[in-house]
This record gives sequence, C-alpha cells and structure tokens, in this order.
Amino acid sequence: MVPIWRAQADNRQRGANLKNVASSVVLVAMTLAGAACAAQQRHHVDPETGIETWELQTSGVTLSLTQILSDQARAFYVNRGFPVAVIDPYATACVFMTVLRNDAAPGSVHFRQADWSVITSQGTHPPVGAQEWLRGFERGDLPRSALIAFRWAQFPVEHTYEPGGDWNQGMLTTGLSAGAVFDLAARWDVAGIGYEGVLKNVRCSQ
Amino acid sequence: MSVVRNRCALLMVCLVYLACPPAWAEAPPLTHALTPVQPPVPAPPLRLANLDDEVVDLEDLRGKVVVVNFWATWCPPCRREMPSLQRLSQLAGDQGVRVLAVNIGEDLDTVFSFIGMLEPAPSFPLLLDQEADTLPPWKVQGLPTTYVVAPDGTLAYRAVGGREFDHPQLVRQLIELAGSAQAR
Repeated sequence: MVPIWRAQADNRQRGANLKNVASSVVLVAMTLAGAACAAQQRHHVDPETGIETWELQTSGVTLSLTQILSDQARAFYVNRGFPVAVIDPYATACVFMTVLRNDAAPGSVHFRQADWSVITSQGTHPPVGAQEWLRGFERGDLPRSALIAFRWAQFPVEHTYEPGGDWNQGMLTTGLSAGAVFDLAARWDVAGIGYEGVLKNVRCSQ
Repeated sequence: MSVVRNRCALLMVCLVYLACPPAWAEAPPLTHALTPVQPPVPAPPLRLANLDDEVVDLEDLRGKVVVVNFWATWCPPCRREMPSLQRLSQLAGDQGVRVLAVNIGEDLDTVFSFIGMLEPAPSFPLLLDQEADTLPPWKVQGLPTTYVVAPDGTLAYRAVGGREFDHPQLVRQLIELAGSAQAR
C-alpha cells in the first residue's frame, strides 16, 4: 500500500519529468529550426539603373525586396487612371517590389503582412497595407479599373504558398521617406511553427 | 518652365511604361509544380465574354481538362507565363486539355495590344472580367493564379505565381488527367 502523499509525490515527479521531456523536445526543435534558419542575405545593384535588391533565403523560403523609384510607381499608376496628385503620396512612400516564394519549406507557408515589421531606429511598424491606401483613394472618384489594378498590383496582405514554387510578386510600401534605412522582419508559419526572415539594412530609393 | 519640363519627363516615363511595364529585378525562375486540391471541390462558375464578345462557359467544357489562368497585362509573371500557356494549348489541345485565360480589370483594347506583342500569340479564349468578380469565388489572392479543372468539373490542381506550363512533366500530368477520365 503506497501512502497517498507518496503517490502524489510520484505523480508530481512524473509530471516534472514529462515537462522536462517536453522542454527538451521544444529546445531541440528550436535548435533545429534555428539551424535551418541560417539565413543568407544577398545584395545586388543593377549596373544600368542603380536599383538595389536585397534577397534572403531561409528555411526553404526566398524573400526579396527591390527598390521601385517614385517615378516608376507614379508612372505605373498614372497609366492606369490615377491623377498624379492622388498617387503621389503612395509613390513617395518607399515602395518595393516584393517576392516571397516557397521553394522548399517543410510545408505550406502561410503569412499575414500585418505580422511583418518595418524596423528603423525610430521604431517598428507593419508595412502599409493595400486596404489602407484604398480607403484613402475612396474620396478620389477614381475609375474602377484603376482601383482594381492598384489592389491586385500590391503584394498580397495574406496568402498560403505550397512547396515547389508557389510565389507572388507585388508592391509593398513601408511608409518611410526617401533614402531611409530599415530592416524588414517577415514572418510566416509552417504547420503552426513560426519562422522569421530579416532583411537587414534595406534602403528606400532616393 | 521646370513644371513643363517635369510634366514632359513624366509623360515620357508613362509612354515607356505603356509599352513595357517594369520588370524591376531579375525575375525568379518559373517552376512547373502544381499543388493537388485536396479534397477536390467543384469548380466555381465561370461564364464570361471573350475578345469577340462571345460568352464562354466553363460548364460547356465538362469532360475536358481546363487550365483556368487569372492574369493581367501589367503583371510581370503573368506576361512571362502566357507564351507557355499557348505552347501547352498547342501540345495538349487535341488530347483533351483546354486553356482559358481570365483577364482581370482591363479593357478589350489593352488586352488586344498586349497579345499583339506575344510570340506565339494566344489562340485559346481570353476572357474579360473587368470588375474582377470572379476572384472571390475562385479564392484568388494574387496574380497570376491558375487552377486545373478536372474533366468531372472539380478543381484538381492549383498554382500560385508564374509557371512554365509547357514543361514536359506538367504537360504529361495534364494529358494523364484528361486520359484518366476518358478511360473511365
């Protein structure tokens, strides 16, 4: 006959052992994820245009940001029906052509742009989402075709990319001024496990 | 004077971009992987006018494999993959594979001027969805997005982002899907 206090103590010990095992598993998983996340950042300057690209490959995912000059962004949307004055705040809000691609992640990559961070010495904020810009354009009496082009030319606010090459390319605004330097922390999850890729020292076009 | 000069400069940039939307960066390579839709669900309705103003209904293509591609002329990966859709159509059209490309939010003239620049030019139906009404039911969150509709009208595969649709493996995969229905 085991005294009840002893049985309770044994149960507590078993519980503590289970907690230790669980902690170890989590630690090992985090270590493996950390090793897998050994990210490699590349920087490329187009010799003809001077336009810069920052690219990161981590955990089977590729993320890149390429500067879009404010003249380029302005011209793109003026061609699609935006008056210059309406699109100017967007064109000068530090726009990047953004690519996120699931090359070989261990499963479906799901992300929400709202979870990403633009990090500067002044503080941290998420990228400016398409809906925020569209709300501002509502007062502009713009052609519907212009708004559709704007909406679908932006990098998706949320998506899921399957392994083997699902990807999107779209415009992303940081809301920073010309020449500002920042880090972009992009976050996604694969089967409930969180991942992060940080592009460091990215520069808004002048 | 400087205002006039600035406007002229902007106009020049606009003209350049009308002819050729920006690529901005070295384009990522296109793959040929398709993701199975699990479990297969019925394809949403798709009934739109083509460039000749004739209505094309996905339902009328039951019994065929139909590649439904959502695209726009200003979308760089859409532009890249379009010739490969035409080559797919040429390679597999007589083996039960059809292609429909749904243009999002643009008018007839814009689409016409774009396809005039393509080699090979698309001979498959290009459908116009000027209000982008098809995107929510087809659960499209970014362009391009492509679905493969099986002969029984269910969604078999999905591809988000540009693909090389004339890759031999992908062509074979679609022909086999078409053939499996004929064998039944």
